[in-house]
Amino acid sequence: MQNPPAPFTSALHLALDPDLFSADPIRPWAADLLRNCARAFSERDSANLQRLLWMLNELASPYGDREQRLAYAFLQALFCCATASGDRCYTTSLAVAERAISFASTRRLALKFQEAAPWTTFGHVAANGALLHALDAVPAIHIVDVSDTFCTQWPTLLEALASRADTDAPRVRLTVVASAASAGVMSEIGVRIEKFARLMGVSLEFRAVVAPASPRFADALRPEELELRDGETVAVNCVSALRRAGTGGSRDAFLRAAAALEPRVVTVVEEEANFAGVGEFAESFEECLRFYGAYFDMLEESFPATSNERLALERESFRSLVGVLACDGRGPDRVDHGERRERGRQWCRRLERCGFQTFGFSDDVVDDLKALLRRYRPGWSLLPAEGEASGMYLTWKEEPVVWSCAWKPK
Amino acid sequence: MEVAMDEANDFSRCNFSTAAAMDDYFACAWNNWEQSVADVGPFSASADADDFHDLVESIVFADDVDYDPSTGHFSLPQSPSYNSNTSTCTPVAEEEEHNATATAGDDAKGLRLVHLLEAAAEALGGVHKCPDLARVILVRLRELLGRGGEGTSIERLAGHFTDALQGLLDGGRTSLRDGGQHNHNNKMEVLTAFQLLQDMSPYTKFGHFTANQAILEATAGDRRIHVVDFEIAEGVQWASLMQALASRPGTSSPHLRITAMIRSGGSRSAQETGRLLAAYAASLGQPFSFSQCRLEANSERFRAAGVKVVKGEALVMNCVLHPTTTAARRRTTGSVASFLSGSVDLGARVVTLVEEEVGEGEEAEQEQGRGFVGRFMAELGRYSAVWDSLEAEFPMQGQARAVVERVILGPRIAGAIGHAYRAEEEEGGQVESWGEWMTAMGFGKVSISCFNHSQAKLLLGLFKGGYKVEETATNKLVLGWKTRRLLSASVWKPPSPVLLPVIDSFEDSDFLFD
Repeated sequence: MQNPPAPFTSALHLALDPDLFSADPIRPWAADLLRNCARAFSERDSANLQRLLWMLNELASPYGDREQRLAYAFLQALFCCATASGDRCYTTSLAVAERAISFASTRRLALKFQEAAPWTTFGHVAANGALLHALDAVPAIHIVDVSDTFCTQWPTLLEALASRADTDAPRVRLTVVASAASAGVMSEIGVRIEKFARLMGVSLEFRAVVAPASPRFADALRPEELELRDGETVAVNCVSALRRAGTGGSRDAFLRAAAALEPRVVTVVEEEANFAGVGEFAESFEECLRFYGAYFDMLEESFPATSNERLALERESFRSLVGVLACDGRGPDRVDHGERRERGRQWCRRLERCGFQTFGFSDDVVDDLKALLRRYRPGWSLLPAEGEASGMYLTWKEEPVVWSCAWKPK
Repeated sequence: MEVAMDEANDFSRCNFSTAAAMDDYFACAWNNWEQSVADVGPFSASADADDFHDLVESIVFADDVDYDPSTGHFSLPQSPSYNSNTSTCTPVAEEEEHNATATAGDDAKGLRLVHLLEAAAEALGGVHKCPDLARVILVRLRELLGRGGEGTSIERLAGHFTDALQGLLDGGRTSLRDGGQHNHNNKMEVLTAFQLLQDMSPYTKFGHFTANQAILEATAGDRRIHVVDFEIAEGVQWASLMQALASRPGTSSPHLRITAMIRSGGSRSAQETGRLLAAYAASLGQPFSFSQCRLEANSERFRAAGVKVVKGEALVMNCVLHPTTTAARRRTTGSVASFLSGSVDLGARVVTLVEEEVGEGEEAEQEQGRGFVGRFMAELGRYSAVWDSLEAEFPMQGQARAVVERVILGPRIAGAIGHAYRAEEEEGGQVESWGEWMTAMGFGKVSISCFNHSQAKLLLGLFKGGYKVEETATNKLVLGWKTRRLLSASVWKPPSPVLLPVIDSFEDSDFLFD
C-alpha cells in the first residue's frame, strides 16, 4: 500500500485524533445547519446566508467524518448558488476530472467500489439476471450498453452465457454508448473485454460510441448509429443512463428510440432520487439531503477511514450536487450535466408511456440478489417495488437508494 | 498461453463472486490517480480544500461584497487566485502583502474565534438549542486554539471561554484543554496569582480602598469599629484598613473588630485569615479582635441574630461580590439579599458594596435581549477588556499574566458562563445590579467624598493609562478599562426599620438558586 498523496496527510490527524473524535457515534449536526442555509438563500436573507456559509466553511472538511464531508459537499453547492457560479464550477470540475482519467485509475475505482458496497453490483446482478432470462436460447445477441460502468457488468454475463449447459454460447455484439468523459479509456477496455470473451469461448465483437449531448441523447440509439444487423436480438442496458437525457421531452424521445429498436428486453438501473422537479428550492434541497446523506453515510461505513477511493467518489458527488442545486439549465453557460435523476415510479410512468411493459425479476434473480447482499456489511437490503412502481430497490438503512427494473415492448 | 490464462483468471476475478485482489490485473502506479493538472481555479479537483475555504471566506468576510437581493446572489471577488492562468505577483509586492496580511491575519483570527464562540453559545443556549452542533463548533475551536496555555492573548481568552462552554455541554465531566480541573490548583499558586493580580492591576485595590475610605469616613469619631464582612477571603482589605487606621495622625487607633461570615467548610481558612490579621494588627499595635459567624447551612442565608453586637460600636457591613480568588463561588441571590437586608436589623452605619458592573448603553441592551447568548457576549466583552488591560500594562510579563489568567480569570469565566446559563433556566430571580436592588429597597446613598475619588485616581495613576474612574452616581465609583465599565464600588445607608416588612417578605420569596 503506497503512501497517500501529501494533501491528505496533514488533515488526516483531524479525523484520527482520539481527543477530537471520541468513540461516541457521530451525531448528526450538518442537516439542520444546511437547511437553515438553504432557507436563507431562498429567502434572500443575505446577512444570515453569509453567517451560515461562514459557519459551514469553518466546520466542513472533505477529509473529516461523514457530517463534515456532507457539509463540505453542500457548502460547495450552496456557495455556487449564492455566487451564481454553478455552471462554471461544474464545467471546470468536469474538465479536471476528465484530464485525470486513465484506464487504470477508473477501473480501480469502479472495482474498489464494487468490493466495498453493492451500490453498483446490485444493478449488474439484477440486469444480468433479466438479460439471461430474456435472451435464453438466442443465438445472436446485440447488447446496447448505455452506461459508464466500463464493462464491469459484462464478465459475469459472458461467463454465464458460456456455461449454459444446453446450448452453445451465442455470438455477442457489445456496443457501449459512453459519455464523452469516458471515451478515452474505452478502447483499452474494449481490448480487454474481447480478450476475456475469447478465453471464455464466447465470440464478442466490441464497439464504443460516444453519446451525444443531452438534447440529442436519443440519437445514440438510431439504428444507423448502432449498425444493427439482421438476425440479431437487441437488448438495451441502461445504467444511470436515462437521467443523462435532458429533462422533459428528451427522456421520452430516448425511450421511444429504444422501443424503436424492437429490443427483446430493456434493463434499467437508476439511483433513486428526484432531482428533476422544478418546485421549491427547499424541496429539491431536502431530497438532496436525503439521498446524499444516505450516500455519504454508506461510503463512510463501507470504506476504510483513509480511503482515496471514497474521496474520489465523494468528489464526484460534490460535482453532481453543484449540478443539481446550482445549475438551472438556463443562461449562456448552461451545462448539460445529466444529474437530474428521477425516482423509480417516475421512470415507470415514462416507460409505460413510451410503449413498454414491465416484467418482474425471476425468483432466481432475487436469490442471486440476496446472496449478493450477504457478501457485504450489514445495512443493505432489498425492497420489492409496489404500487405505481415495479422492479426492485436496494436500500441502505431502510432508505431506497438504487432502483432496477426490466422491460419489454408492449 | 500461460500469460493469457493468468489474465483470464484475473479478469474473471473482477466479478462480484470472488474476492481476490484485483491489484495484479489493474496494477497502476498510485500516483497516476492524483496526477497534477493545470490549475484551473479554485474549483479544480487538484486545488486544496484550503483554497476553497479561503474563497468562501473572502465572500463572507469582505466588506465590499456585492449582494443582489432580487437574485439572491453574491458577486465573486476579482482576485488573482480566482481567475486562472494569471501571472504571479512581483516578489516585492508579495512581501509587502505578506507583512500586511500578518497583522490582518491576527485580527481575522481573533474575529473568527469570536464568531465561533458566539455560534457555539447560540447552539448551546440560543432559541433553537442544538447540542450536537455546539459540540462540533467547540471541536473546531479547540483545533484552532491548540493545546491550552499557549498562543496569543486572544487565543488564551478564547480558550477559557471554550472550556467554559464545554463544561456546560458535559455537565461536569469536562476535559479541559490543559488536562486539569482548575479547582486543583494548590493554595500557593492561588496566593501567588492573587498577589500578581493585585500588583498588575487596580482591580482588587480599587474596591478595597474605596470601601475602606468610606468606612473610615463613616466611623471617624468612633472608638470601636465593627466590620461584618460577607466574604473574608485572605483578609487583604482589612490589612489596608488597619494600616490606614494606624497611620491616622492624632488620637490612638480605635478598636477594630471583624466578624467574618463563613459557609460550610470555610471555617478553617477563615480562622487562618483571622490569625494572620491578628498577627498583622499586633505588629502595628492595632487593637483587634476577630470572630466568625455562620451562614445557614444550605441556603447560606444571613441571620442578624447570629452576629454579636456590642453597645457603642459603629457597625459597618462590607459586601465585596467581585470574586477575587478562586476560593469564592458565586453567592446565591438569596444569600446576598439576606446579608444586605440584615444591615437593617443590625442598624449598620453604612454598607459598602463592590460588584461587577453591567454594560451600559445600546450594545448592552441588545445583548440583554438575547438571553444566554447576550450574556455570553457581554462576558466575552468584559473579560477581553480585562485581558487587554493586563496586556497593555505589562506586555513583557507574559508568564505572569498567563498564571493570573489560568488560576484566577479562567475559573471566574467558567463561573460567569455557568451562572448565565443556569439563569436562563430560572424564572426571574437574578439580580444583575445589587446597587439597583438596594435603591429599590430604599437604601440611601452615601456620597463618595472628594478625597475618596482622588484616592482612586491616584491608584490609577500608578498604571500607564487606559484605566478610568467615573462617578456615575453620588455614592458610586466605577472602574473601567477604555470604554468598558468593569467594577463599581458604592456606599449605602440602610433604610429605616419602617420598611422592614417589605424586606421580610422578600426573604420569604423563592429567589434561591444554585
